[in-house]
Amino acid sequence: MIKLKINNKEIQVEPGTSVMQATQQLGIDIPNLCWYDELEHFTSCMVCMVKDQSNGKLIPSCSIKASEGMEIITNDTEVIESRKTALELLLSEHVGDCEAPCQIACPAHMDIPKMNRLIAADKLDKALAVVKKDIALPAVLGRICPAPCEGACHRKNVDEPVSICLLKRIVGDDGIESDISAIKKTGKKVAIIGAGPAGLAAAYYLQLKGIQVSLLDKSSKSGGLLRTKISDEILPKEVLDKEIELILKTGVEFQGGIEINSSKFEELKKEYDAVIVATGTITDDSDKFGLESNPRGIVADKNSYQTSEKKVFAIGNVLRNSRLAVRSVGQGKEVAFSVIQFLNERDVKGEPRLFNSRFGRLVKDEYSEYLKESIVVKRTWPEAGGRSGFTKEEAVSEAKRCLHCDCRAIDNCKLRDYSHEYKADQKRFKTSKRRNITKQLNHGSVVYEPQKCIKCGICVRLTARDKEQFGFTYIGRGFDVEIGVPFNKELEEGLTETAVKVANACPTGAISLREK
Amino acid sequence: MNNNFQYIDKLIQDKGSTKKSLIPILQAIQKEYNYLPEEALKYLAEKSEITASEIIGVASFYSQFRMKPVGEHMIKVCVGTACHVKGAGLVYDAFRREFNLSENNDTDETGTYTLEKVACLGCCTLAPVVQIDDTTYGHVAPDQVGQIVEDFESLGDKKGSKKARKADGSKIQGEIRIGLGSCCVASGSKEIEEEVESVVNESGMRVKLKHVGCVGMCHQVPLVEIVPNEGEATLYAKVKPEDVKNIVETHFEAPGLVTRLKNKLFNAVETIQTDRNWEGVQRYEISMREKPVASFLGKQVPIATEFRGIINPLDIKEYLKRGGFESLKKVLNKMSTDQVINEVKNSGIRGRGGGGFPTGIKWELVKKEDSEIKYLICNGDEGDPGAFMDRMLLESYPYRVIEGIIIAAYATGIHHGYFYIRAEYPLAVKRIREAIKICEERNYLGENILGSGFNLNLQIYEGAGAFVCGEESALIASIEGNRGFPRIRPPFPAESGLWGKPTLVNNTETFAQISYILREGSETFKNIGQGKSTGTKVFALAGKIARGGLIEVPMGISIKQVIEEIGGGIANGRKFKAVQIGGPSGGCIPAEHADTPINFESLNKMGAMMGSGGLVVLDDTDCMVDIARYFLSFTQEESCGKCTFCRIGTKRMLDILDNIVTGKGKPGDLDELEHLADWTKKGSLCGLGRTAPNPVLSTIKYFREEYEAHINGTCPTGKCTDLITYSVNDECIGCTKCVQKCPVDAIPFNPHEKHSIDTELCIKCDACRTACPVDAIDVR
Repeated sequence: MIKLKINNKEIQVEPGTSVMQATQQLGIDIPNLCWYDELEHFTSCMVCMVKDQSNGKLIPSCSIKASEGMEIITNDTEVIESRKTALELLLSEHVGDCEAPCQIACPAHMDIPKMNRLIAADKLDKALAVVKKDIALPAVLGRICPAPCEGACHRKNVDEPVSICLLKRIVGDDGIESDISAIKKTGKKVAIIGAGPAGLAAAYYLQLKGIQVSLLDKSSKSGGLLRTKISDEILPKEVLDKEIELILKTGVEFQGGIEINSSKFEELKKEYDAVIVATGTITDDSDKFGLESNPRGIVADKNSYQTSEKKVFAIGNVLRNSRLAVRSVGQGKEVAFSVIQFLNERDVKGEPRLFNSRFGRLVKDEYSEYLKESIVVKRTWPEAGGRSGFTKEEAVSEAKRCLHCDCRAIDNCKLRDYSHEYKADQKRFKTSKRRNITKQLNHGSVVYEPQKCIKCGICVRLTARDKEQFGFTYIGRGFDVEIGVPFNKELEEGLTETAVKVANACPTGAISLREK
Repeated sequence: MNNNFQYIDKLIQDKGSTKKSLIPILQAIQKEYNYLPEEALKYLAEKSEITASEIIGVASFYSQFRMKPVGEHMIKVCVGTACHVKGAGLVYDAFRREFNLSENNDTDETGTYTLEKVACLGCCTLAPVVQIDDTTYGHVAPDQVGQIVEDFESLGDKKGSKKARKADGSKIQGEIRIGLGSCCVASGSKEIEEEVESVVNESGMRVKLKHVGCVGMCHQVPLVEIVPNEGEATLYAKVKPEDVKNIVETHFEAPGLVTRLKNKLFNAVETIQTDRNWEGVQRYEISMREKPVASFLGKQVPIATEFRGIINPLDIKEYLKRGGFESLKKVLNKMSTDQVINEVKNSGIRGRGGGGFPTGIKWELVKKEDSEIKYLICNGDEGDPGAFMDRMLLESYPYRVIEGIIIAAYATGIHHGYFYIRAEYPLAVKRIREAIKICEERNYLGENILGSGFNLNLQIYEGAGAFVCGEESALIASIEGNRGFPRIRPPFPAESGLWGKPTLVNNTETFAQISYILREGSETFKNIGQGKSTGTKVFALAGKIARGGLIEVPMGISIKQVIEEIGGGIANGRKFKAVQIGGPSGGCIPAEHADTPINFESLNKMGAMMGSGGLVVLDDTDCMVDIARYFLSFTQEESCGKCTFCRIGTKRMLDILDNIVTGKGKPGDLDELEHLADWTKKGSLCGLGRTAPNPVLSTIKYFREEYEAHINGTCPTGKCTDLITYSVNDECIGCTKCVQKCPVDAIPFNPHEKHSIDTELCIKCDACRTACPVDAIDVR
């Protein structure tokens, strides 16, 4: 056995163990991208750096064997910075979006591409489930949202953006929500003051997590500004009522006609485990319930919405006047997350926003590449015109215009995970023009997007080991090296038996599995 | 299709069907087709054990291999360091214009010429250099490219029609030595040789014509030395074919009465002309006794280059006569392997490839390894764009290198060795091949060498063009038939190298110094040099120096001594600004530190390094940002692409430099550049990436204000074309010379009037400025 110290902790390992494996035995995670357990180490990505304390040098831990008396440091600032720098360099040549730009632009952070794909596959019910994960009032927003998502849509550069808002509307109108299965009650109680879009959304997501919500409003009916400030022409009351009904159906207890003043507020604080303030835009004479505020509104943490009082959260226009109902709806979803953190006595940080790789605008040469996943037709306008929505046929056809900008490996990407963990800044080394994106889609089970490749060589080594006739190879060298099938053979010929394995082994989304 | 590729069947049969034969097979295919046709490669994949992935991976890694057909003739524009500082970039651009090449096209419309940049042709003292097929043109100016093409075409089939010379003459009057190093050949020594042969043949003189290797005085090539049996030798420099007859007949008498009379007449004529200081003679004749030349050679200590200019590279009798193989005999007959290693250790010699690892210790490590099979590799993969020591040693002293190798192999218990030589050095490959053959015939190589019971065979492996293969683990990968990817060390090659066996990798120059150490003793060697840097080092001295060439100097000599006493100071009376030492891995040392001694430690301390031995002198017209960018673009291009920090780090550094030299720099760029340089050094896998930032860091260290000036929009030396404009000042006499030279008609034809330059059209090729007789072109 070999004895060594890692972060001053002694450990014994079998001879031949790599420093990375030894470190993992101690339960310390070492990031790695080019390392694959069925293959020999390759020493390419350089994110597994640790420090050899004897000489202060950084070493790639996957490729160095543990030796007697070694002293390794895995977490000092220099090690962390080396990993971060390596990730930032890799990100500078990783051309691709993690989440689609529409989703990032959406204040409620809705998974728009997924909704579009389900609509395109004529699965409105499933699409509704996707939408309602983030937006509690899709039919409503489908009528009033100014759709910042469409402003970010890559398709906008090709011709016109996908008609996302109307697609969401038909999902909300025609999608049928599956019955909510019995939710385990947590026994916790939360009071929400204000039943506008923010309060309604917060109520919906908390109630779905087994938290009993009391939704209080000074009006007798819920809906807030949605009910009072929007004309019936734009938003028919029955649409609003139907969606509110779906929210209340989850078990939310609505109490209308209740004015909350400071003393009542104090009582609520005592009676409930947490209180959410969603009372709408404040004026000079609004009751601020003794919470810290500024001229714009009540002050709350921008991620968790926690106010100066720990058990009180604030969302919606009460923070800052905004004309975006979708923002309020999104905050309702997000605050539910922080409140649950609070109730579970966790650090109240709010919903984490993962790292997102972004490449910016689509350029002309890329249109055809992106259109490979789409159809070349112009934006659909509802035949019936004006304020009517899409027919289902129109919706299906319009949804097919979506370019699938989101990455298939979005939940299975080491590069993204580590970039998040090390707070990597993708723009840091944005020193020259990026590469143009290409997509290879002519394979039954995998998709290859070469510009996402980080040249870890796993696919080259795996296809060689598994004796693919063509497999993958390096073409060229240095910064310009590309990974491809030799002799420009089709992807189908390069990856036969190994395709799925290679896609799963790819540490990022360069080679990924097709959706079923 | 199969019928067409019988040739490939035969290659597979001859060279082998496995991966280790891949590079030689690809080289042979390219020789046949001038590029690698895809069909041929597919056929190879089908018929051999080598996979398609391996073939494409390797073929696309090495720059020697071309995947597209090329024109009938290859025009290679050398962009090595010396050529770069003398304007090779402008020459390259001029060729592009000459052939109207579009952006992604390197072959002209007619398919006659293909243009390419090459890292270094090794004729640094003739910079800028252009090679068309086998014909080399030196000192090329951008406005001469048309002439060059014309001249090349006028050669027709004159090339290769070599006249044979009669080998009679019992009474030899002396010898005529003709330099046959690459510089000499490139500068026309071949024509000189032909001319000498014809003169000698016609006159029937009894003179021995002798070929010698590189003399190191590359700034004076081509060289002809006349050595009469009696009297002093005379060295003629920069000889032209039309001068030959004169020179030869001045020194030697023709046998017949008539010819003798004729010669007398010639002599008389020549004397008269000399007395009148006829420029034609004065211009090229220099004597060894004259001061500059004496000092050029005087400060030097030839060890690796012992007897330079005296011995014929392949004449083994002469090598023997001058002490050759004495060390080997001594080692084989009288010394144990431990004694040999101790002697080498005691000499203090360190690897001449740049790293400076103690050679004796390396040998000891290899010797200790208990393995039946071990390998030796002589690293001749010199890729530094401004250095050509290895090539010169291999071309001029093949036996000395081989002797060093045999001694090393004996000491470490190795029976199989490789010469890894760049394929760009065909002459070196040819000489070594012949030298190995001769050594085998004489039993210096092969079985039971000189009856000692020791066996060693040597073979040549031609590199295929990848600077990174100078790194030993990449070099090994290359011999194994892989892409030249380095791998992490440990394990070091001494433990696990070629095919996983213990392997001794030493640089060519290191081997060339071994026989001296064993012949003269380690103490003698140790006494030359300074501190932990013992012995001598060969440098390629080039750039803005009066006398460039290959020099071998004792370690510890100062930069100043090299430049002033050996190099004769800065050329054209300019001011010495800095010296770039160590090529792409090295750094720039400014004039104020010219007292720095040249040894491993002091150079490192200054931010430079010994590197492979390029020594490029820069004057006050050189832009340091441009120099840094030049070297970084070289390493960036040569990065193998395996590890993140080198592949992307060097690229991003280059991006920042590109922005700075094109006026897009911004405050903060320098800090980010230094930061990234620091990480590229710390994080890269091999020496290439770990040293690539040196040229940048050292220039920022000593010339930060020049970088800042660029960021503020000016290039102080007027080198960075995006930051300068050309204009005409009042000195203009309206002679239209510039108008005629301007390739883009940016100067209107207005004779006798002050000219003007349309800056919109101007491509900043510098042709007008060089053409102007009155310095009327301003560059700001």
